[in-house]
Amino acid sequence: MGKLESSPDVYRFSEHYLPWHAHITAVTVAPEARRLGIGKLLTEQLEVAADAADAWFVDLFVRVSNHKAIAFYKSMGYSVFRVVKDYYGEHSTDPTLSSEDAYDMRKPMKRDVKGEHVREDGEKHEVDPSDVW
Amino acid sequence: MSSYRYGRPALKSSVDVQLQTAFSDGNWNTVIRLAAKRAATLKDPYYEAIKMCAESQLDGTAQKCGVLVAIDDFVKSKKTPDLDTIELYEWACRDFFDYEVEYADTLGPLRARWAKANPGSPLALQCLQACLEKWDLVSAQQIATSLDKAYANTADRRYMFWSITLTFLLSISPQCTDASRKVYSLLAVRQLERAADLTENSAKLEPTDRGLLTEEEICLYFRVLLSHGTKEEFVSRLKSPKLGAISQLKEGRKLLFCEGLNALETWGEWELIYNFCREALTFGLEGTTSPFFVCDLQIWRKFASSASKVTDSDSALSEVQAILKRYIELKDKASAMYKKNLSLALLETTFRLPATTLNPAHDNLGLTPRVVQLGLFLDQYFERLSAFDDIKGYVAELSFEEIKTLMEGVLPKLLDENADKPRKTVLHALQCKLRYLLTTCPQTLSPQTSVANGEAQKPYQCRFCTSPASLPCEGCLRTLITDASKSYQQINGDKEILDSIPRLDKDPRLDLALVMGTSLLKLSGLRPRTPDAGHSLWQDVNPGQFLQAVLLLDAQLKETHGDTELRLLLVQLYLLLGCASYAYQLWTPLDIKRTIQDSLSPLFFDRISSLSPGLFQGTRPLMEPLRSFYNHNLDDRSPVRIWDAFAAGSYTSILDMTEYDGNLRRSCTVMMTLVEERRATRCYGGKIDVEIEEHPLAENINDDTTLVNKTDYGPFPNLESVHGPPIHEYLRLGPGLSNERSHLAFLSEQYLDLLHYKPPKDYKPSKASEAALRDREYTLETLSRLSNSLTDFLHQPATPTRLTTPETTYYTVLSLLSAALLIALSTPRSDPVPKTLSLLSKSIKSAFASLRMSFFTLPHADEHTNRHLPSACLHLTEMPHLAAIRDTALAIKHSAAFVLSFHEKELARDRSGRSGLHRDVISEMKVLAELAGKALVEVKGCVHRLKEALAEAGWLDRLLGLVFAEGDGHDGNGREEDVGRVVEEVVGGRALTEEWAGKVVESWREGVKGWGMVRME
Repeated sequence: MGKLESSPDVYRFSEHYLPWHAHITAVTVAPEARRLGIGKLLTEQLEVAADAADAWFVDLFVRVSNHKAIAFYKSMGYSVFRVVKDYYGEHSTDPTLSSEDAYDMRKPMKRDVKGEHVREDGEKHEVDPSDVW
Repeated sequence: MSSYRYGRPALKSSVDVQLQTAFSDGNWNTVIRLAAKRAATLKDPYYEAIKMCAESQLDGTAQKCGVLVAIDDFVKSKKTPDLDTIELYEWACRDFFDYEVEYADTLGPLRARWAKANPGSPLALQCLQACLEKWDLVSAQQIATSLDKAYANTADRRYMFWSITLTFLLSISPQCTDASRKVYSLLAVRQLERAADLTENSAKLEPTDRGLLTEEEICLYFRVLLSHGTKEEFVSRLKSPKLGAISQLKEGRKLLFCEGLNALETWGEWELIYNFCREALTFGLEGTTSPFFVCDLQIWRKFASSASKVTDSDSALSEVQAILKRYIELKDKASAMYKKNLSLALLETTFRLPATTLNPAHDNLGLTPRVVQLGLFLDQYFERLSAFDDIKGYVAELSFEEIKTLMEGVLPKLLDENADKPRKTVLHALQCKLRYLLTTCPQTLSPQTSVANGEAQKPYQCRFCTSPASLPCEGCLRTLITDASKSYQQINGDKEILDSIPRLDKDPRLDLALVMGTSLLKLSGLRPRTPDAGHSLWQDVNPGQFLQAVLLLDAQLKETHGDTELRLLLVQLYLLLGCASYAYQLWTPLDIKRTIQDSLSPLFFDRISSLSPGLFQGTRPLMEPLRSFYNHNLDDRSPVRIWDAFAAGSYTSILDMTEYDGNLRRSCTVMMTLVEERRATRCYGGKIDVEIEEHPLAENINDDTTLVNKTDYGPFPNLESVHGPPIHEYLRLGPGLSNERSHLAFLSEQYLDLLHYKPPKDYKPSKASEAALRDREYTLETLSRLSNSLTDFLHQPATPTRLTTPETTYYTVLSLLSAALLIALSTPRSDPVPKTLSLLSKSIKSAFASLRMSFFTLPHADEHTNRHLPSACLHLTEMPHLAAIRDTALAIKHSAAFVLSFHEKELARDRSGRSGLHRDVISEMKVLAELAGKALVEVKGCVHRLKEALAEAGWLDRLLGLVFAEGDGHDGNGREEDVGRVVEEVVGGRALTEEWAGKVVESWREGVKGWGMVRME
């Protein structure tokens, strides 16, 4: 599931303002259909739609503990743009923790010729969930 | 959307500040005064509307309804108010729409009129949206038609297709009168046909043309044609060179092709399916698009299966093979998904070829091309999670010789000696699953020719182990358990394998545990609980092996707690065992998402109030997630977010969403939710807020409504072959949800509503006699209707298979009671009481006696195997039966009380005594009441005895004794002890078993504690 969106215009002043981009809301492949390239196919289709709609980038949120997904997205050209502290309400692997950070990962689209909307040291940029809209 | 949905509507900007402020502050009396003044001064009817709108916010009924009168005047006078006034009116009577007021009779026509008069205004769109969201299809269709006319031949094509879609929706909706149905059907078809003709006859279609341009537009045409056209028309268009399935496919549009094939399949048009698939797959090879674009598995399956069914199937199948061969030559270029599809297509094709083609010389009966293909497929995919599901259907088709070759010749050679251990383990787990599957296939057995060793009851001989057998072969199951357990323990003892598990598709121990668990369940004698099954679980089932299965699977859940299949299996097993609170603990972490509540909730909640009413006493209402889901989705009359589909021009989605919504409103799960909550509420003397017939979720349900069961058993592990029932049928408390059971439950609740009705305290009719007569008339009419309906549903041919025996008795007694009450209340005191009453009473007594008898005298089926079984266990697993006794007793008791109270009231009202009931009726009712009272004492006593029994010491030892029954080899060879030992080793010894037994006993105690608080009056 994905969509094209941007932050409301009134937040243009904010450093957290998100320009026109595609967002991957969820990608789920049934366990028995995994390792067949279906996730890649779906993601690529959203990227095609993003380029067709002149989006700057595609972004998504992923748990920092979800190594498989992070590796998958990195292999497709996504990189960490920022870390959203305590974005998830519970930890997926450690029941003693009450929250988990998210990586906001991005891949620049054709419009972002200069790579203005990605950064190399995204892991060092931490934001609060309230900065994400 | 208009602002009224989010709060008070904004008044026109021309309205003065003073009035604006009073309105936004909700100072209604000031608004009324100011608006009246402005109306008089400015002669603007808008101020009258403001005044009326403010009045509607006051408490008086007349004031509240003033706005309805105004709307009604507009509707009748055919006048059209301005849109601001409509908005005000709609906000003012927003609360009426769920109850007394039909949008389609009030604001819908006003909005339609306004839109018709102002089709060019952007606000007309708002009118359409408002009508759609209130699901007033008549007005919405009219507005869409006006918009279509206003925007005809513009680039905005949506209006034309909105109009057609709404015309079609109206034609299939109950909102359409029978007289208009044909007209709307024809209109939708003709409009689309004209568009289709235009498309066919134009060299190039522009967006301004009224033809079919997008994939959604074309698919809409075919959907409408499928519904309202003839098969010939549909097929002819499907072949058309421009709009047809193949030409659309060539443009990269696959939806029509897939939908077309499905339609042809329902008609059994194999030649057409074959030709379409051949053309599509050949086109794929021509290289204009990606060759694998058409390589969907379902297309290959349909191609192969249609080829085997056409007249010249030999050459058709050769053609399939030839095309497939060409694809396989290109396989290296394909992505992993298509590579696998091609491998599966090869399997499918091989299995559809006639045996003579496959093996003309009849040599080597075992190593046939089918087995070879299975071997080749598994060589590539045996490590995949889906491997078993991919091949199980094919394996179940093999002959025994082929099976033997596959299992003993092919599979062991898939890996060589030097292969790494994790791969070997995965392969062995798959072999175990296949071995289990084969125990459910009849070709593994041959008819028994001789009787030996006294095992004459076994009708077959197993072709694997040569033992006398029935289906499944118990010897093979035992061997399988031992093999699987060895492999299981080997994994646990090998660090290399354990470390590799996270990298595997699935923990092989999970598969092995499932094989062992289901084998044990089969060995225990568990069978689907059909109405002819025994009265107690333990009559059919060996407790030791059954509990071993539960224990083993429970232990596995600790290792693989995230596995949904296993969790669901255990939830069902614990419900069967009567451990509802523990089942609930396992159910909760599944965290069923809202959209699948309807299809998955019955797996836990069906019959839950009869199994463990105490669960409803928790801090959070037990069925809150379900209720909240239905309230959210069914509160509005329209399908949720239908406007989004209109805005996106997704016409097939509009039709699908409407169908889904229609099914959801008629869902058996909705009825289950209502009934289970009501039954639990009654158990604890709670107040039922609304009669079931008046409940918003049951609003449109009547006897003619077919209630839909959409329970999804897909998430269950299923190692069974198609030759027997799927595993979930073994695990249910009784037959699944059904139209018949849901209707009977609905009617029974209506009957109880009638018995329990109490007029409001402040209801004091001025003419008491007339009111009493009207009440009597209403009661008799309701009884007559319920009696007829209950009898009808009970006598439907499928009903006996849809209910458990206690349920059948309960509904039968209710049907008899409603008939008896009808006679009792309608027979004048002076007339002789018809003999039917005593016959009905006799039938009630006899049915009830049999219901009680079958529960209170539950026998052990096999005293030998069950001698360790505490007698309390016999009842702990049969609480729904006890609930049926209680419910039946209470229904009898309250029915008798209803008649006696009626008599008392009549005596009090009419001192002459003439309107009272016949004394024979009174005495008959007293007998029934006494009988019910005695039964309730028995039920109470039973619960008390269970509580005492569970409070005794030694339960853990008793349960452990049952699980690992020593020196009690049922088969005389000690093979059961071997199996017991195997289970003990797998679960990690007696200490852990004791912990598990503690949870089981505790759950029983909790269940009985809940029952202890249940009211028996």
